[in-house]
Amino acid sequence: MTRISIDPITRIEGHLRIDAVVEGGKVEEAWASCGMWRGIEPILLGRDPREAWFFTQRFCGVCTTVHAIASVRAVEDALKLEVPLNAQLIRNLILIAHGLHDHIVHFYHLSALDWIDVTTIPKADPATAAKIAQSLSDWPHNSAQEMAAVQKRVVGLVESGQLGIFANGYWGHSAMKLPPEVSLLALAHYLQALEYQRKANQVVGILGGKTPHIQNLTVGGVMNAINLDSQAAMNMDRLYMMKDLLSEVISFVNDVYLPDACAIAGFYPEWFEIGSGVKDYLAVPDLPTDSASTAFDLPGGTILGGDLASVHPITGSRDPYFRDAVVEDVTHAWYRGKGAKAPFVGETIPDYTDFQDDGKYSWVKAPRFQGKPMQVGPLSSILVAYAQKHESTVKWTDLALGRVSAIAKQPVTIHHMHSTMGRYVARAVRCAVLGEHALRHWQLLVGNIAKGDSSVCNPPTFPKGRIEGMGFHEAPRGTLSHWIVAEDGKIANYQAVVPTTWNASPRDEGGARGPYEASLLGTPVADATKPLELLRTVHSFDPCMACACHTLDASGNPIATVNVA
Amino acid sequence: MSPHQREHRSHGEAVAPIAVIGIGNVLLGDDGFGPTVLEILAAGWVLPDTVELIDAGTPGLDLAGLLCGREAVLFVDAVAAPEAPGTLLQYRDQQIAEALTLQVRVSPHDPALAEALAIARLVDGGPERVLLVGAVPQSVEVGLGLSEAVKAASAEAAAIVANALAGWGAAPHRRTDAVASSPWWSGEGDG
Repeated sequence: MTRISIDPITRIEGHLRIDAVVEGGKVEEAWASCGMWRGIEPILLGRDPREAWFFTQRFCGVCTTVHAIASVRAVEDALKLEVPLNAQLIRNLILIAHGLHDHIVHFYHLSALDWIDVTTIPKADPATAAKIAQSLSDWPHNSAQEMAAVQKRVVGLVESGQLGIFANGYWGHSAMKLPPEVSLLALAHYLQALEYQRKANQVVGILGGKTPHIQNLTVGGVMNAINLDSQAAMNMDRLYMMKDLLSEVISFVNDVYLPDACAIAGFYPEWFEIGSGVKDYLAVPDLPTDSASTAFDLPGGTILGGDLASVHPITGSRDPYFRDAVVEDVTHAWYRGKGAKAPFVGETIPDYTDFQDDGKYSWVKAPRFQGKPMQVGPLSSILVAYAQKHESTVKWTDLALGRVSAIAKQPVTIHHMHSTMGRYVARAVRCAVLGEHALRHWQLLVGNIAKGDSSVCNPPTFPKGRIEGMGFHEAPRGTLSHWIVAEDGKIANYQAVVPTTWNASPRDEGGARGPYEASLLGTPVADATKPLELLRTVHSFDPCMACACHTLDASGNPIATVNVA
Repeated sequence: MSPHQREHRSHGEAVAPIAVIGIGNVLLGDDGFGPTVLEILAAGWVLPDTVELIDAGTPGLDLAGLLCGREAVLFVDAVAAPEAPGTLLQYRDQQIAEALTLQVRVSPHDPALAEALAIARLVDGGPERVLLVGAVPQSVEVGLGLSEAVKAASAEAAAIVANALAGWGAAPHRRTDAVASSPWWSGEGDG
């Protein structure tokens, strides 16, 4: 029996620690732990609910906008305040652009090097790489010259001995199976991806006034002035600039990201059999298309036990099916007490022990839905939408599975999506779905403005007494919900239940493992000193501990340590 | 910058050749040093069009996208070092690379800083000049506002940044109508 401890595991800053017991080359038991205290919510107590979003968007440096949106939605829910259609659409476009950006960064910059062995690239034939790339799509930047130029840069890096700066690179590992030419084309796209994620971010900047920290939100709507004839306001020039940027990003997603994800999945079909874990899925609806947030372009709901026929929709923030079902359990988390509490009455009182396998071992609370751990993220949102026959989702999912099957030369179906590789494919599919909706929401916005509607905000008024509100958002990493209690116009309680909390949750009072923990069981580990396989499964969730618990380690320790006992 | 990149910069706003990037979480005490210095610069100086100020927060690898296409980048960040709180430390070009190769933590955020610089070098050679102006924090616990030591250092750091920009041929000049900067996270007043 071997115990592996990886700390930290994320490529984004954050103290996620994974412990795994390996027996006979497979993971037999696993723990997910976060080593930093999450305690930012108390800063909000006593403040004006209208300014909460300014603080919440600093919870995490990577998902800034998502915490801003969830916060204003929570306050609006508490006030039962509708927002003008223009404001909904402008917010939706920001969310979509952020999602496009985030998914591209995850695939290429945060996780591709788990599958691509950079050290094989010098052996690749650039002409063959170009030929393979051209067979996947007609993207114009797949020429042999482009591939040769990228290869030359990689050779330079390998020769300079600076490859080590790519953390977590397990070069030469036996689980690395991509042909050198596929690695080369994927790395060429890794470099091009920088430019397209930046374009997506520019859209956030145009609408939000600033990025990464947007400035244009307000409780009740947005602060973008709409005037088609004014240079200082949202005018046709800016609208068309945005459309051009979105179109370029969408081309990259459809012609590069999705084909690459399908190709890599096709070369690693065994990863559709690994890493399923928790097959209870949760996603909330998003992209509201009316002022009252009762109609959504992306459906939400739950799937239980991996059975798509079990799908139960979530209709909106007032739907008790979600609102009354969420609790956070602290039995195995470093907070006082045990058992679960609903977010509106949630507490965050630290009670640190040390890491105890059977006791408390993480700063992450354990969110539960009807008492169950739930998996959240693009896979959940895609499965929930597919099960409800959401047209765009069905179209892109079937297209992706067809491509994967063709490359793998074996059938890969929707049932294989409950897996580590399923999460990668689902994220690429979601990105394509978001791209399609980007243009649709752009059209809706332009159409609504053309009708003469320039309203952007319904100002809020705060009643005396106690109000409660919940705002959700289906963020790039999954279901995010902010829960606010205000008394006489001041914040009395504030809890953010974030996607990584759902997925990285520790065990609960009943002993049920969180999704990371469950997904690692049975994972093969070829070499306990280089646990690449564990990283692949954990990275498939796109962990981001920054908002679950921010890291600041001034100890001068090495960047990552793998301990094998 | 490769021809590929140039061709694809046809839309949207052009990238300024020089970026001053403030890194840090303003909700965590002295970790807000970087963003605070940027606020001081914006309030007290007029910057040439060639310089972009970016309050990047804690961007992780999103930082890489902010570095590509730049000629010079100046980071302002809290630095984990044994010196007294408020001490200002500067690292230039190769020093940053050397510190990272040795896995010395130049900054609490450097796992991302190292990788982001490496990615930028792969894409387009990376910025030719890199300077990191850091302050040793006193406290990075949850809370608004800087400690006295780091607050005092931040004004000095802004002057160092202005000087460095002048050295890069992008001299800022002091605003005649300068007002004291008081960012919303400073803890003074009610947000």
